[in-house]
Amino acid sequence: MTELNDFLTPTAFNPLIYWVLALFALPLLSFFTSGLFKGKAPVWSGFLLAVNTCLSVYLALQHWGLEPGVVIKGTWFETGSTAFTYSFLLDNPALIMLVIVNFISLLVHIFSAEYMRHDKAKPRYYAYLGLFTFSMLGIVLFHNLLFIFIFWELVGLSSYLLIGFWFEKKSASLAANKAFIMNRIGDLGFLTGLMILYTQFETLDLGALKLLMGDSRIEDGNWVINYLKNGEEVIHSLDGRWLSAAGIALFCGAVGKSAQFPLQVWLPDAMEGPTPVSALIHAATMVAAGVFMLSRVFVLLDAQALEVVAIVGAITALMAAVAALSQFDIKKVLAYSTVSQLGYMVLAMGVGAYDAGLFHLFTHAFFKAGLFLSAGVIIHQLHKLETDEVKFNTQDMRVMGGLRTYMPVTFFCFLFCSLSLAGLPAFSGFLSKEAILINTHAWSVEKGGGYYLIELMAFATVILTAFYIMRAVMLVFTGKFRLPELKGTPEIVGKLKEGNMTLLIPVVILAVLSFSFVFGASISAEDSWLYQSVRTPRDTWVPKEYIAMSQAEMLAKAGTHHTWLEVLSVGLALAGIVIAILIYKPGAKLAEGFDGKREPVSPIVQVSFYHWYQDVLYTKVILKFILTQSKMLAWFDEKILDGCVNLLARTQVVVAHLTGMFDRYIIDGFVHLTAFTSGKVGQLTRSIQTGNVQTYILSAIAMLIMLLLWFAF
Amino acid sequence: MPVEHLLFLGAVLFCIGLFVVLTRKNAIAVLIGVELMLNASNINLVAFGHFDPDFLQGQIFALFVITVAAAEAAVALAIVVKVYQYFQTADLDKISELKG
Repeated sequence: MTELNDFLTPTAFNPLIYWVLALFALPLLSFFTSGLFKGKAPVWSGFLLAVNTCLSVYLALQHWGLEPGVVIKGTWFETGSTAFTYSFLLDNPALIMLVIVNFISLLVHIFSAEYMRHDKAKPRYYAYLGLFTFSMLGIVLFHNLLFIFIFWELVGLSSYLLIGFWFEKKSASLAANKAFIMNRIGDLGFLTGLMILYTQFETLDLGALKLLMGDSRIEDGNWVINYLKNGEEVIHSLDGRWLSAAGIALFCGAVGKSAQFPLQVWLPDAMEGPTPVSALIHAATMVAAGVFMLSRVFVLLDAQALEVVAIVGAITALMAAVAALSQFDIKKVLAYSTVSQLGYMVLAMGVGAYDAGLFHLFTHAFFKAGLFLSAGVIIHQLHKLETDEVKFNTQDMRVMGGLRTYMPVTFFCFLFCSLSLAGLPAFSGFLSKEAILINTHAWSVEKGGGYYLIELMAFATVILTAFYIMRAVMLVFTGKFRLPELKGTPEIVGKLKEGNMTLLIPVVILAVLSFSFVFGASISAEDSWLYQSVRTPRDTWVPKEYIAMSQAEMLAKAGTHHTWLEVLSVGLALAGIVIAILIYKPGAKLAEGFDGKREPVSPIVQVSFYHWYQDVLYTKVILKFILTQSKMLAWFDEKILDGCVNLLARTQVVVAHLTGMFDRYIIDGFVHLTAFTSGKVGQLTRSIQTGNVQTYILSAIAMLIMLLLWFAF
Repeated sequence: MPVEHLLFLGAVLFCIGLFVVLTRKNAIAVLIGVELMLNASNINLVAFGHFDPDFLQGQIFALFVITVAAAEAAVALAIVVKVYQYFQTADLDKISELKG
């Protein structure tokens, strides 16, 4: 039998811990000291992040490919016989994430130096960026669910701070609240998952959890584990359904953080934050955390939980892709696109394609950051055209158009990232999306029946994705510039310029990184070095009654269909692109009338524009229900509870008055009576004391005579 | 001379002394009354001393009383002098500091 404490024994001292601590310390230092540097905050924070990026690259090169990674364990604190441990795991996914988080954060720091140049609260902004990076690194490096949860919450906090960075804007502070609350709902699930696992295994160390999960078994429908704790045998038994429940509960955390259905509504609203922050949230930090956490607990998920994960992922991918079709706001398009791509990653995890999911997370990080930063360049340059007289929404695609001539570099960067998102060959997005689609297909074939619907949704999303992103490209960069006509100020045209180098360098780097040759020369994902570096764990550790079909087996069964799947996905993407070009090419009906377009009236388009009315549903039904309930409770509180309290208080007062009267009249009456009597007696007796000595003698003699008479007779 | 006459004289003298003590306003006069009463008791002592010719206890006791009376007069007069200095009067009706 296994001894629990064997899993938790601290590892021998490893100098690597200094590197890990340094990785944490630098962003944290940036958080604490940015305020001291005032105007120089970008330089200082950027420098710290650059050092951190170098550190993480060095660390990644040093420990690349070590299976199963370097583990550092230690004891945090002990209470009684229970030890709380911490542990770090440096394996390939963690190292890649480490580099991506630091690198993208660095690019965002550089980009923001120009983007936020005129913002007074610049030091605060950079401090938050530091905190955000720090929190994300915690999730990446720690290998203990308790610590992951702590940093998970910190990520939530820092995203709240950054989304609400311009808190004087009502919409920004509302969006920040929304993001935070939606995340809290997901976190509740995550916490529940932790509790279930802790109840069963009495530890939250992921390495130990994996081994203990392997030791657990199903007996008569019960999920049983026995092990030794400090030499004494411990048996835990739960209903078998708790095993699935634990997986689903952990997934709830990812649903919140990675913006999955039904909690994804916060992400489009999160566009209220500064654009570089959106890039950071959407590419490297916030939303990646959910998928990364899923990959960490992947081996603990059973078939049922994985099925839920897959279905939720597919639904999210399709819903968000539909919502992105009709948005006017360029950032909204990108936001829904992120939700949709996250749906893909989660779908990949659900169908057992751990490697494809992570691979898509990595490639998506680059091209989505590229898209957001390009959009940032456009927004920033358009913002410069705004004067006191001419005000317009700088994110609205209705005022853009024809920007290719003014901002060629931005155009090409945006285009390349878009094609990567659409999934055309030669771009990184193709590699990862293809991997996901193949795995989804294999899974659907294995499950059969209604599960083909999931595959159908995944493929439908491919064409929708290509369409909406090409629509954005056409509307923003082709045709003629619509703003001067809308505002009647033709002289404005000449003022629009390409962004400066600070803005463009990060964008260009990210655009280059969205080409597939960076990640592998072949057009197949299987040959990519990055894909190969994140192999799916060969065996899941849940008891065999609950185990999901392994990816390798599924792929082996469906393996012969690769070519037509690739052709189909590329064909769909091309179809989407061509349709978008035809509809929105300069001179086409939709493109010409686009500047005057108002919110849609047709119910079908409205479904897309208002994101399936999900927000409306939440506001009208859930929020209203909660508010009504709160009002009722408030009424109950005010009238009934407060009434009771007041009544009680009033009774007390009345009783107190009665007691007071008793005291005053009865008790005091006795005291006064006694005093009065004594006084009267005193007055009587004092009259004898005349002070005249002769009187005294007289009375003495009178008494003497009476005494004599008394004796005489 | 029968002893009754002597006792009668003593009683009369005592009553006069008592009357003086009770009625006179002046403190000195009261002291004189006290002397009268002491002497009345002396007469009684001497009168009864007649029945004790061997030891003459009555006479001896009368000598003691005279001595004590002299001492008493000295002390009382000193008090009266101090009282007079303090109250500027020796009228007993006016000295009623102890009136309750």
